[in-house]
Amino acid sequence: MDWDQFDLNPKTIAALKKADIKSVKEILNLSGADLQRLMKLPSADIQCLLKTVSHTLRRNSMLTALQLYQDKDNFPSQHQKLSLGCSVLDNLLKGGIPLVGITELAGESSAGKTQIGLQLCLCVQYPYKYGGLESGAVYICTEDVFPSKRLQQLIDQQHKLRADVPAEIIQKIRFGNSIFVEQAADLDTFQQCITRRLSLLLARGMVRLVVIDSMAALFRSEFGPAEAALKARYLQTFGAQLHSLSTRFRTPIVCINQVTDAVSESEAAQCSWRAVGSRVTPALGITWSNQLLMRLMVRRVSLPGHSPGAASHCAGSTRTLSVVFAPHLPPSFCYYTVQLEGVKGTK
Amino acid sequence: MQREVGTLPLAPVLRARLAAAGFQTAQELLDTGPCGLSKEIGISREEALEALQVVRQECHGHARTAEGSSSTRKCTALELLEEEQSQGFIITFCSALDNILGGGVQLTKITEICGAPGVGKTQLCMQLAVDVQIPECFGGVAGEAVFIDTEGSFMVDRVVDIAAACVQHCHLIAEAQQEEDHQKALETFSLENILSHIYYFRCRDYTELLAQVYLLPEFLSEHSKVRLVVIDGIAFPFRHDFEDLSLRTRLLNGLAQQLIIIANDHRAAVVLTNQMTTRIGQSQSTLVPALGESWGHAATIRLIFHWDNSQRLATLYKSPSQKESTIAYHITSHGFRDVQPPAVTPSTEGTELNPRKRPRTEEEKQQ
Repeated sequence: MDWDQFDLNPKTIAALKKADIKSVKEILNLSGADLQRLMKLPSADIQCLLKTVSHTLRRNSMLTALQLYQDKDNFPSQHQKLSLGCSVLDNLLKGGIPLVGITELAGESSAGKTQIGLQLCLCVQYPYKYGGLESGAVYICTEDVFPSKRLQQLIDQQHKLRADVPAEIIQKIRFGNSIFVEQAADLDTFQQCITRRLSLLLARGMVRLVVIDSMAALFRSEFGPAEAALKARYLQTFGAQLHSLSTRFRTPIVCINQVTDAVSESEAAQCSWRAVGSRVTPALGITWSNQLLMRLMVRRVSLPGHSPGAASHCAGSTRTLSVVFAPHLPPSFCYYTVQLEGVKGTK
Repeated sequence: MQREVGTLPLAPVLRARLAAAGFQTAQELLDTGPCGLSKEIGISREEALEALQVVRQECHGHARTAEGSSSTRKCTALELLEEEQSQGFIITFCSALDNILGGGVQLTKITEICGAPGVGKTQLCMQLAVDVQIPECFGGVAGEAVFIDTEGSFMVDRVVDIAAACVQHCHLIAEAQQEEDHQKALETFSLENILSHIYYFRCRDYTELLAQVYLLPEFLSEHSKVRLVVIDGIAFPFRHDFEDLSLRTRLLNGLAQQLIIIANDHRAAVVLTNQMTTRIGQSQSTLVPALGESWGHAATIRLIFHWDNSQRLATLYKSPSQKESTIAYHITSHGFRDVQPPAVTPSTEGTELNPRKRPRTEEEKQQ
């Protein structure tokens, strides 16, 4: 780092060079007293140094909430959302998935998690006007092979699902070309994938959505109960990396997660609000929950009014999508079905 | 800042050089910076820095000298008591929580809120950022708020909901009581006004957070009405990428020390949120606040939010003046609120509460 660029007293700069301090981070990692000792300068000079480097690091980053609220063009992350491609589901989420932060989609197997993930990969490619982000998506598979057949089916049926979008716009988008599929079966591959390939794709502006299907599969096999601390460290690192990618590129990260049965009450208490009568909690524990911006849960339900036979004619059984927690949403839920053309909410 | 260069207490030689170089106001000098200044008028950088220090003191100095150095003053316990009693609290809009806190969130103290994700920590922070601005005649402290966000969970739409409900609430009080000062206070207590007095800082990692806290005293001197500093959350930037845990402890302790100084010098409440983590015991594991034992000493008041089935509970875990107790609270579309007693008839409640309550009762009926 070139200290001569800073508005500092030459005496301070000389002391910095002499003490072999190379970065702003290094200065901030040292306490005032340590700096005094290392640089042999009086405390007033040190205070001045700390203030100056802080200023350079932060510039003028103050915003008022009013600016965030009114200046919609400069702060899209507060206003834009990624649509789910269905007005009922979008209403539940007040517009869709927030651009910055990790959104978790948890649920039992066959509840429709992957279906929602695939649909998001298509929705992100629509113009802004129709709730998309005009860019592609990365789909990271960790357990199964990518369901490309189903994706093809969804692409063919897009005109049916998105009746709100003019047909010529749908025809123009080459959906299949901008979905990047990554396979990562173990932690090392996954780590490589998010640190190297993902940031490259994001930096080039080729994608604006990351779907990870699923997070839990990476951790379920490799760690026994004795290695809980190591597992937690991995989860925190991944969480932080995904978080910073999301913030830097204003890209929503959707993590699909499995569920486990809640064995004890204390375990159930960790998972915060649960649907009445459900005994499952999302996998990976509180360390992972701490990394999330919002948590959604999907569930298959059997409505008492419908017999199993009656359910079959309305093409797919009813499921619920519920908001477990989110800073801007109340805990609530809505019903949806998975049909040939995709995921649709029902009123 | 529009002060002319000629009126500044600088050496005549320097003044002449500045005038010759075309500098007219103090602001121009500050904008140029020491490097530029030393080049422009051909003085050494030390001299330029000294000159700028004089200029800064002249421009901002009045506010700061009036405050004095409060760190060295002496006072008796009685004076302290009187001071504390006159200071007032930031109310939370949940009277049960206010009660266990002894009136609300205390100014000049650090309050830490711990809890599992989704239990309502950020909600309380946003609520406080609005409540701190309630005019004095309504029992508020008429302050402003600094909101430092490390997790990106500050949603302005949600703040708008809370602020609108708060303004509405004050209007209802004013209508009921018909007092003159209420009407006057409400003229300026609007949604726009509330939002423009929440100063938002986004910090992406712990170095940015540390830098921001170094800058806070200066910011607070410039914005002397700030009575609340929120850091949501303190744990997130410190819980990853730390190989060296002793460094983390040291940084956190330094941060806590600075926050105590800020809280004292600027008569502000500091509110921090912390995550929970699992501590594995011999027979069973329990949830404890993150960041370790020594961080537990940092906050004067520690609140733990947790769940009991679908009820949100707040436990006052540490406080110098109040006894340990637990209360229930609700988060409605209007913000952080008391749990409504079940005796209230649902028909009047239905319009008052938000629509989200309804689906849940429907579901219960179906099951």
